[in-house]
Amino acid sequence: MRDFLKRHQIPLLITLLVLVVGFIYSANLRKKTTTTFFERAVLTLTEPLQNGIDRTCAGVVALWDNYLWLIDTRQQNVVTIKANRELRARLLAVKEVGLENQRLKKLLDFVEADPRKVLPALVVAEDASSWARTIIIDKGGRHAVQEGAPVVVAEGVVGRVIKVAANSSRVLLVTDASSSIAGLVQRTRTRGVVRGNGRSLSLEFALRNDLVEEQDLVITSGMGGVFPKGLIVGEVSSVQRNEFGLFQQIELSPVVDFSRLEEVLVLLEPEK
Amino acid sequence: MRGLFFPLCWGLIFMLLQTTIFPRFLPPEMRPNLLLILVIYLGLSESFVRAAFLTLLLGALQDVFCGSTFGLYATVQVAVFLLVRLISDRLNVESRRLLLALVGAGTVLQAFLLGFLLTTFAEAGPVLWILLSNLPLQILANLLSGWLLLLCLLKFQPLIGTRQGMAGLPYQSKHHGA
Repeated sequence: MRDFLKRHQIPLLITLLVLVVGFIYSANLRKKTTTTFFERAVLTLTEPLQNGIDRTCAGVVALWDNYLWLIDTRQQNVVTIKANRELRARLLAVKEVGLENQRLKKLLDFVEADPRKVLPALVVAEDASSWARTIIIDKGGRHAVQEGAPVVVAEGVVGRVIKVAANSSRVLLVTDASSSIAGLVQRTRTRGVVRGNGRSLSLEFALRNDLVEEQDLVITSGMGGVFPKGLIVGEVSSVQRNEFGLFQQIELSPVVDFSRLEEVLVLLEPEK
Repeated sequence: MRGLFFPLCWGLIFMLLQTTIFPRFLPPEMRPNLLLILVIYLGLSESFVRAAFLTLLLGALQDVFCGSTFGLYATVQVAVFLLVRLISDRLNVESRRLLLALVGAGTVLQAFLLGFLLTTFAEAGPVLWILLSNLPLQILANLLSGWLLLLCLLKFQPLIGTRQGMAGLPYQSKHHGA
């Protein structure tokens, strides 16, 4: 037996190796939102390092941008002052709309649809591959973050939590190829599934007869139970209707600038 | 133990670089896969058992920071390692150019395996198109990083002490006989 093992050591090791990785991969295929002990341990171990590196980098970049590289500052200042004046004028109009909204809400006995708590988190790292789109945030299980929790910013949907460690979590961005969200065109109420294409998004299974136009906003429909209804996902950038077929091809541009994502909000489950 | 500890430390450093520093300055398709270079290097220079164990661990480490399915990169890295090992006996592993050529070929192989596994076993949408469109820049980024890492290794090796089994270096590999 020993002789046999010694003689066939390499082929046996190769077989064992292939079986081990095959087993690990197949066991985790259907459990994308389950965090294994290994993942939790590595994420917990690396979170302080990633946080430290991220803060150091941010400090160096801020020093460079704020004190050394000021070539565009004067020009930006002029533009900002002009924009500020315009925005102030608009703000007055918005205030008036806000007051009106409050009155109408009272009239309709409006109840806040989503009672979830909001947890601010910092983005400390990004996906290490060139094809997947995930980020790591500095909040985890200790802050009541759970797998599947929606992550948003003021502009719209960012993604959902897929792995949770004690002090950090991984978030699958809506632009990832494996991400899909139930969506709704705000103007026409056309339903579909928003899928990630790496950089952009597409709205699939939108019926061909619905007249969706460029610049229409697509929001979450609330179906599926992950994202609350009404969060902005993207803006229609192109629509293609073929002569035949049930559906139209709709391309979306995300409303969130994922290349400059620094702070996000995690929507926590309401306390029972 | 030292032979396991140092490659794992390098793997961790490479992962921290890939997740924190590179995203600040490089678009996704231009970020090199340093762990792939490390796996190819280990495949050429370490003993089979040690290299296999390290590859498995490094693949699992990469899985923690890449994609959404744990085990994907472990599978891919083990496959790359086994193929490197299979052909290394027939090649002159002392050649630096060969090491770089293997990095280029490894990048293509990795993209192919990722595409195959993701489209066959997981519903990953247009991932194949993303992988293919990123491939030319990925090869370029990996070759450049491989070349820089090799230069650093050659420069600093006398300082950290010589050891056998360094592919691409003028020392005869332990695995391939002194």
